[in-house]
Amino acid sequence: MNIFEEDLNDTITFWEKIKNIFRGKSLWMLHYCTGCGAVELPPTMTARFDMERLGMGPMATPRQADVLLITGYLSVKTLRRVIYTYEQMMTPKYLVGFGSCTLNGGIYYDSYAVINRLDYYLPVDLYLAGCMPRPEAIMNTFKTLENMITKGEANGWKKYVENYDWYRNNQIRSLGEVYVKDEFHE
Amino acid sequence: MNFTNDTKELISILEKSLDIKDFTTPKKNEISIVVDQNNVPTILTYLKDKGWKQLSMITCVDWIEENKFELVYVLFNWTNGITFLVKTKIERENPEYISIIDIFPGARYYERDIHEFFGVKFEGNSDSEKPLFLELWDDKPPMRKDFDPLEYSKRKFPDRKYDVELSKNVVKEVIKEGGINERT
Repeated sequence: MNIFEEDLNDTITFWEKIKNIFRGKSLWMLHYCTGCGAVELPPTMTARFDMERLGMGPMATPRQADVLLITGYLSVKTLRRVIYTYEQMMTPKYLVGFGSCTLNGGIYYDSYAVINRLDYYLPVDLYLAGCMPRPEAIMNTFKTLENMITKGEANGWKKYVENYDWYRNNQIRSLGEVYVKDEFHE
Repeated sequence: MNFTNDTKELISILEKSLDIKDFTTPKKNEISIVVDQNNVPTILTYLKDKGWKQLSMITCVDWIEENKFELVYVLFNWTNGITFLVKTKIERENPEYISIIDIFPGARYYERDIHEFFGVKFEGNSDSEKPLFLELWDDKPPMRKDFDPLEYSKRKFPDRKYDVELSKNVVKEVIKEGGINERT
């Protein structure tokens, strides 16, 4: 009987692998879009590219969704709400960053209101290059994400739990306070 | 200037009574006047009576070399479609001005906006000190010309570091493989 070293060091259990396969087949995307990338999602959802071929559908509430898309630039004001939204989502949850703005600031690299890199504040599973990426690229990204989930590589939500202090310090450094306070919530 | 007789009369009245000098028409159907600080509420009230009932916006221009802020009140008349710009200049250090919310109540939010982005205080507007767009802002007002957004962005939002040499080598390799035609 051959015992491979990979099998001994495999931390994913058998049932976890089965679960990962099912998770990849039915992804619910949170219908929350920031910036310009939201323009590319209607063609991706509708008849020509048809996101539902991959088993993905839009979902209106964070507590039922699996995937959070940050589509484009992210201002500090929105980042507070995004952190709220991300922490409300149930595990397993996956986060995809669209376009150059989430990578390095893009054309807003010198703006006083827009953050420069997203993975400093929230764990990003997958980045998608382009400004803006076409629907074909988005479909490719979703297929890649599905494969990553099936193999068990999309572990952003585990990283967020393990390194929560690091993420929290970065959030507080840039935002001052994550708690949302405005005159409509007084 | 293809204005109607009413508008011509109005312009002449303004010229005679308040001795306004700078009448310009930046665009078609748009009149711009530069007035003294103290005359602004009078002129706005007069124009509101004459049919310029809508305050489209208040905006502010930073003339840093003259050391002045310029407030621009944009009024619109729905009966003849003429836009009126009323401009006035105030000091840049400790800028303060009179609020016009008793003439146009909608000015409340524009004044909050200007207080937030330029630091102009409006007397008589109780809400003008409240933050409107920026949350927990801890620097000088961001729309002033002497505010450096790049420095603020570098201090607050860490950037991704790139290896410049590596990226140059990658480009050279791509050129060798024939992916990009090298420009000669």
